[in-house]
Amino acid sequence: MSMQQRNTVVTLVSFLLILSFFCVRVFQMVQTATFIAPNVFRLWIIIAIAVVAMSILGSILAQITSAIIYTARTNEAPPDAEWLEDERDKLIQLKGTRVTYIVASLGSFIAMLTFVLNRPPLVMFTFLIASGLVAQILGDVYRLVRYSRGV
Amino acid sequence: MGKGKGQIHNNIRTLRFHHNEMTQTDLAAQVGVTRQTIIAIEQGKYSPSLEVAFRIALALGVQLNEVFWYDPEGDAE
Repeated sequence: MSMQQRNTVVTLVSFLLILSFFCVRVFQMVQTATFIAPNVFRLWIIIAIAVVAMSILGSILAQITSAIIYTARTNEAPPDAEWLEDERDKLIQLKGTRVTYIVASLGSFIAMLTFVLNRPPLVMFTFLIASGLVAQILGDVYRLVRYSRGV
Repeated sequence: MGKGKGQIHNNIRTLRFHHNEMTQTDLAAQVGVTRQTIIAIEQGKYSPSLEVAFRIALALGVQLNEVFWYDPEGDAE
């Protein structure tokens, strides 16, 4: 497994955790009738901070584990090529990004439909955030599938 | 691989063997790609860019057409 693959796995796990937390909190708010603006805004801020923090920490974590695994296996320091991102990686990243954009666009469209059903804007924005997280997850899954197939 | 009929084949594994049993890691380092990319190319799962193809041929000390050839009748994935 290359460094880019490990990075993708770490990002996927991070976003799955964030999405789970988001869904649980929204469900709790709906159940306890506390789905109101201040609570939802607070949740958005937590999610935004978590996404940024997990992205940075995930990348660092993937690099550290890659270095440890390589050193444990070969008893040598990892070569520069281990950190390289080549044309195949870039191609797979682009394909994954395309999936992310398509799913995010569909999610945005569904979020807009909530207006048609006379739901408050809070519901629309909650759908938007959820669709963004789902889009990132599906993009990462697609990248891992492409990595396993070669490209 | 490309769409439709036709497939690009390669001889990298044999050429590596004849080139002092060069490892995939060594070839990857000389070409400037990851080992996983060399594996994917060898298995015919990924067709490299022309630039990488030339670099592979250069690293193996042969002409490009000795490394890669196109089979118009082959089934592409």
